[in-house]
Amino acid sequence: MGYLWLKAFHVAAVIGWIGGMSVSSVFIAVHVASSRPLAAGESRMIEIVRAWDWKVTTPAMLLAWALGMTMAVQAGWFSSRWLMVKLVLVFGLSALHGVQSGMLRRMARGANRSPPTFLRYSAPAVLMAIAAIAILAVVKPF
Amino acid sequence: MPPTEATARTDERDLLRRMRLVSLLEGATLVALLFVAVPLKHIAGHPAATSIIGPIHGMAFLLYVWMLIQTVSGADWSRAEIARAVIVAFIPFGAFANERFLKRKELALAGSVSPEGKWDTSG
Repeated sequence: MGYLWLKAFHVAAVIGWIGGMSVSSVFIAVHVASSRPLAAGESRMIEIVRAWDWKVTTPAMLLAWALGMTMAVQAGWFSSRWLMVKLVLVFGLSALHGVQSGMLRRMARGANRSPPTFLRYSAPAVLMAIAAIAILAVVKPF
Repeated sequence: MPPTEATARTDERDLLRRMRLVSLLEGATLVALLFVAVPLKHIAGHPAATSIIGPIHGMAFLLYVWMLIQTVSGADWSRAEIARAVIVAFIPFGAFANERFLKRKELALAGSVSPEGKWDTSG
């Protein structure tokens, strides 16, 4: 597959991944802020967000990894410092997504333990990380 | 309405089953990298083997770590269990010990044995 096609599908996958993470981030932040028990409609909402996370966000993340890795190997970027910094941010985003997925599962079970407070700030963290990733990938400053 | 206890247990068991598969994939790619690709590169002079298996193992490792984070965030694993699951990912053939550990956790959810491997007679 040509570089431009790989890049196009990689960007599309990243948009799907980050869009899904943003939805989960806002949803979990609302849950963290509220101490009252979940209403019936909210439980249904958790199931919808969880299903989206499992069927869209997670496959998009896996596709973004695979296509990104393929591009980096083909272009020989693994010795570039910008890619190393980008990979650290990608690992951070992936870890945050793992925590979010686990928390959504816990919330769906109606478990008592409330989500960690740091998840309240995950939406701005995701946006800052993706902005930095976009700059690193496009400008390749070092 | 929250899912029933039985549905939640089935979900957790399915997750642990996927985790076992990913653990075996990670372990198999690590073994292939260390015992096939690296000797091919340094002894037989075929660097292409590492450039193919290396990224595949990288993906499998990333997937394993992501699955582990997702699994422990949604369940109540002890710190020792988390540390064990992380350490085995770096040890060749460690995945096979991990497979047994995850299988025991899976069976514990089914109510037959405890995660430590002892028979659970409480139920």
